[in-house]
Amino acid sequence: MAVIEVRSETAGSIWRVYVAAGDTVAADHVLMILESMKMEIPISAPTAGRVTEILVSEGDPVSGNQIVALLEST
Amino acid sequence: MTWIDGVDEVERRRERAKELGGEERVRRQHDAGRLTIRERLDALLDKDSFVEIGGLAGEGGDENFIPAGYVGGLGRIDGRDVAVGGEDFTVRGGSERDGRTKVHMLVAMATEYRVPLVLLHDGAGGNIENTIRRGYMQIPTWLNAAGEVGLTATVPVVAGVMGSVAGGPASRSMLSHWSIMPKDTADFFIAGPPVVKRAIGLDVTKKELGGSHVHVHTSGAIDNEGVDEFDCFRQIREFLSFMPRNVWELPPYSQPTDRPDRKEEGLLSIIPKNRRQPYNMRDLIRLVVDDGHFFELRPHYGKCLITAFARLDGHVVGVIANNPMSQGGALDGPGADKQVRFMELCDQFHIPIVYFVDVPGFMVGPDAENSAALRRGMRAFWMTYSITVPLLQVIVRRCYGVGSATTSRTDRLNLRIAWPSAEFGGIPIEGGVDAAFRRVIQEADDPDAKRVEIEETITRLRSPFLTAEALGVEDVFDPRETRPMLIRLLEAAQESRRSKLGPKARPGVRP
Repeated sequence: MAVIEVRSETAGSIWRVYVAAGDTVAADHVLMILESMKMEIPISAPTAGRVTEILVSEGDPVSGNQIVALLEST
Repeated sequence: MTWIDGVDEVERRRERAKELGGEERVRRQHDAGRLTIRERLDALLDKDSFVEIGGLAGEGGDENFIPAGYVGGLGRIDGRDVAVGGEDFTVRGGSERDGRTKVHMLVAMATEYRVPLVLLHDGAGGNIENTIRRGYMQIPTWLNAAGEVGLTATVPVVAGVMGSVAGGPASRSMLSHWSIMPKDTADFFIAGPPVVKRAIGLDVTKKELGGSHVHVHTSGAIDNEGVDEFDCFRQIREFLSFMPRNVWELPPYSQPTDRPDRKEEGLLSIIPKNRRQPYNMRDLIRLVVDDGHFFELRPHYGKCLITAFARLDGHVVGVIANNPMSQGGALDGPGADKQVRFMELCDQFHIPIVYFVDVPGFMVGPDAENSAALRRGMRAFWMTYSITVPLLQVIVRRCYGVGSATTSRTDRLNLRIAWPSAEFGGIPIEGGVDAAFRRVIQEADDPDAKRVEIEETITRLRSPFLTAEALGVEDVFDPRETRPMLIRLLEAAQESRRSKLGPKARPGVRP
């Protein structure tokens, strides 16, 4: 089982987190919403899997390419 | 008494040349997941259209003939001539001999016949053996450099990075209008791992140094990625289907299979009423262009911007669109570079541009500052003011800041068409009010209430209808009318484009 790093594509702040460690998600499932340039941009699961870790909280600033969650692909 | 013995010798040598570097080396090429140059030409070109020239070049004489490490000639793609060739990696790794080589012949052919040049690279260029053979060191030169640079001013030049490509061939592939590499079976670098190890002591694999994830997804040195070599050839053919053969011709018109008066209901609701909610700009483009089809250039680089070729009523158009899904569409360094490259390409080949605008301005923050987003962004602005092809702007939502001034130009016919969802401004209201009215807000009894009051006053001015009343935007209209309207405007520009054919004042397209 491969560990997948979910990254924030751009700088912004985390507005909503919809999943928690242990959750099983389908590919393209929206994990969290990044607020960047006044737009609510979804961060989705690149592949189906189980969330092993959420590395940010709501309100946290993130930079471009920062790892925000880890998935274990199924 | 005939010359049949000479003809037999020609045939014998041609047959030998078709064996390339020999069975063992061809097997190794296949084991690396790669095609040989002859297989590549077969897969790329129209069936049986390849006319090889220089096929007898090589060395070793009658007995030990080894073909030259390059195969080239004339071929057809969709019935149109192209000068085409590539290194043969199975012969000395596709390395070049000194002096005038087949690639120079192909450049001359493309120049004189005014046909596209397609080079399928697989090699590292110069070989140190050449120095021993020559007997002296040489100042690095580029035979017919001016010819190759100038070629980008007159005919389409396409580079396929098909194998392990470094040095000269890698450099040459940058002197192109568009480049592509397959996802897993090609590498591209200035110099490969052994040179890197000696120069900076770093152990790095070919893949890490120059795989498509580096050069298509991160550096942007190569424009597109194919899932395999065959997909690359399919994309090369498609790229060329939007290109004229040269700058003296208009891009190819194809009989449309879509109605010019098609009005899509979907355009009425594609922009969310919630201003903070993004949407899929590619879906929007599909609803407007012929058959919902477009060919995207550089889809993995500068994702805040979409650049693509499409057709409107059979005529080729360049489509540029901000992508609200990527940093809200804010223009950053890579996005700006992408706009510059695409606009220059369209301008060179007389392809009108339709710009779908939803941009909050230039990207802000430390990453943007560190990567000179403003210099790169202003280069996009400069390019917008340099091009002469028709430029139509459809403002679908946000159009703010100097970043939005890269999307249209005010010094010539400037048709900006806005949807009712459009909003414009020098600076966004949120944040802008804080900056401009800081003291007024701070000194108010209730600062928050004061901020809201000022924001509401300005928000009332945000209506695109007020701007249209002042002719601050040329028109506002029903989003469903977008396709027929664009087609009508481009139709009117058609005759003038015909009279403006030929090279531009610039010396080609910059790498």
